[in-house]
Amino acid sequence: MSFDLTPGEDLRQILDAAQSMLDSHYPVARLRDGGADGLDPLVDFGAFLLALPEKEGGAGFSVVEEAQLHVAFGRHLVTTTALATAIARRIEPEAVAAAGVVDGDRWLAIAPRDASHILARTDEGFVFAKMGAQSDVVPFGASRPMARIVPPPDHRRADRETDHTACLLVAAQLLGVAIGARDLAVDHARTREQFGRPIGSFQAVKHHAADMALGIEMVSALLDTAAIALRDGHESVGFQIAALVRIAPRVALETARAGIQIHGGIGFSAEADAHHFLKQAHILRQFIGTYDMLQDPAPLAPYGKDVS
Amino acid sequence: MELTPTAEDAAFRIAARDWLLANRPSDPAPRDGQASRDYATRWLATCHAAGWSGLAWPTDYGGQGLSAARLMLWYEEYVRARAPSTLDCTFVALNHAGPTIIARGTEAQKAFHLPRILEGRSIWCQGFSEPGAGSDLAALRTTGRVEGDELVVNGQKIWSSYADIADYQELLIRTEPGASRHKGLSWVICDMTLPGITVRPIANMAGVTHFAEVFYDDVRIPLENVVGELHDGWSVAMTTLAFERRTAALALQLELSVKVEDLIAMADAAPGSATAERLADLRAEAAGLRAMTWRTALREPATPFDGSLMRLTFAELAQSIHRAAMDVLGPAGLVDSHWSYDYLESYSETIAGGAAEIQRNIIAERILGLPREPRP
Ligand SMILES: Cc1cc2nc3c(=O)[nH]c(=O)nc-3n(C[C@H](O)[C@H](O)[C@H](O)COP(=O)(O)OP(=O)(O)OC[C@H]3O[C@@H](n4cnc5c(N)ncnc54)[C@H](O)[C@@H]3O)c2cc1C
Repeated sequence: MSFDLTPGEDLRQILDAAQSMLDSHYPVARLRDGGADGLDPLVDFGAFLLALPEKEGGAGFSVVEEAQLHVAFGRHLVTTTALATAIARRIEPEAVAAAGVVDGDRWLAIAPRDASHILARTDEGFVFAKMGAQSDVVPFGASRPMARIVPPPDHRRADRETDHTACLLVAAQLLGVAIGARDLAVDHARTREQFGRPIGSFQAVKHHAADMALGIEMVSALLDTAAIALRDGHESVGFQIAALVRIAPRVALETARAGIQIHGGIGFSAEADAHHFLKQAHILRQFIGTYDMLQDPAPLAPYGKDVS
Repeated sequence: MELTPTAEDAAFRIAARDWLLANRPSDPAPRDGQASRDYATRWLATCHAAGWSGLAWPTDYGGQGLSAARLMLWYEEYVRARAPSTLDCTFVALNHAGPTIIARGTEAQKAFHLPRILEGRSIWCQGFSEPGAGSDLAALRTTGRVEGDELVVNGQKIWSSYADIADYQELLIRTEPGASRHKGLSWVICDMTLPGITVRPIANMAGVTHFAEVFYDDVRIPLENVVGELHDGWSVAMTTLAFERRTAALALQLELSVKVEDLIAMADAAPGSATAERLADLRAEAAGLRAMTWRTALREPATPFDGSLMRLTFAELAQSIHRAAMDVLGPAGLVDSHWSYDYLESYSETIAGGAAEIQRNIIAERILGLPREPRP
């Protein structure tokens, strides 16, 4: 079929299997104990091989399926090292890469322990390098371990397609973060009672929740469109990625923020999980960076007066 | 998941583009009154003569039976070619009354009305809302008393778009006295020339007259004009929900992408300026709305209540784009132009067809499963 936006059966199977793996190895509640995520369950699952061609030992799927897998990772707030590694293996098949951000000449790595490489976001795009010497910094809100890295002397600029793939997968995780934050908040709103009724029966709460759903719907539709454009090499890929990069971080942040508000006091505490979604959204927002939304031609531009 | 046109799809797109560019009217649409009707029916007749009307209607009823994807391709070409707005006085007939009659009408109703609608020979309006029944439509009180083979209708409708220039009205009335709210209603075809009907046009805040109040004073409507069963009007009114993701509202959603491009061209904002950032947001959101539109149109099975996500995203984006246009225009926005006119018109988007607050309630309750609002 030429036009079809219904997820296929094989994709549903992958996602079902991923869900059980995530539920047993990466329940969100694990974050209350601190500690770093290992990658082994993800390796065993084949998370880094999904989109590789079968002749290279991969599963022969594409970024379309891989993006959905990263949505699921995002919901479980899986370490950004999994994300950076999935992207970096397109450059260096054995790499374990931490996610990083470059701010002027300062390099910050997220969860860098055990990583052989770093995939970092610069103003121009993603760069890939061997992990440099680290000095720990105190992460905001005791979130993920972070370190400053001595700028690696020989880092490689990712090509355009890898840049696009990186943006796509980070956006997929941001979508997952938003979905996770929404689900947590909606569950809470259904069960927490005040004034003799569930707080979710109050419109102020309902409308926060509806706004979450609106943002998520838009990002999710954009993600599908951009993933297909990237897989099939559509002309509009730059435009679709730019739109995704523009909207996904905002929606994740807004959803996580509203999620904390809906939880009330427990949302501000470190004993509920709402704050983890917010912090992950901030980290991913820096990792995805910015992308010029006005540079590419629009696929739906009006025709001029004299169209041939 | 696929979004790549086949060779036939590509040929269809080009045929649509060529035809639209060659046949779109070059004069602007009159804003209201009989002139607006003449313009809209002329355009529909032109489309019909060339086989471009009733695109989403089944072929058995004179439509083209296009797939959702083809419909999307048509409407993408439609808005890029700046063909006339689909939200004109033909909208209710083509997208609501017609599909309702197709789904629930008698053979006689179909045979009489459907060709007239497709050819632009009859214009319809919708008479659902009343002064006391807006968001709470089931509170409506206009009555139809069964007398022999007629309904005798008394009461009042309001905000009925194009009632001043319409031939027929889809009229939702209470036919079973004492039945509770959603029960005992009937969906009736009302001929607007019947004795006892008074139409009082109401000007809107954009300065044009699109909607009207309609009064019914012992209006006698044959019972054979009831669509569906007598007293089953609520279910008839809900019938078209299933058809909604294939309506010309698709064009309105896609058109926002075109409007953003126009706005970007008009603003000529310095890179990095606050205006450029705002335009970038609008451009991204229009792309998001387009992606949602495609997905909602194509995804099988349809996800219930997606329409509310779609409708609300559209409404709020339409308003943001026009607010930005007024800011870009500055003092020039005080003078009538298509931007300032559309800006004022855009205030209706979060009211008509289910206010934004109601849509948010629906999303929270029906999609997210939060507890329902108290109901009378
Ligand atoms: C341009 C335009 C064209 C229209 N065309 C037609 C037409 O052709 N035919 C027709 O039948 N009708 C038509 N309508 C009417 C339209 O359907 C109603 O205006 C709409 O349903 C809202 O009803 P109302 O105006 O009575 O507002 P109300 O229902 O009085 O609402 C007023 C405000 O209260 C809020 N509100 C109401 N109930 C709740 C609640 N439970 N929770 C939270 N907030 C609530 C609303 O969101 C809104 O902000 C048209 C309206 C417009 C503006």
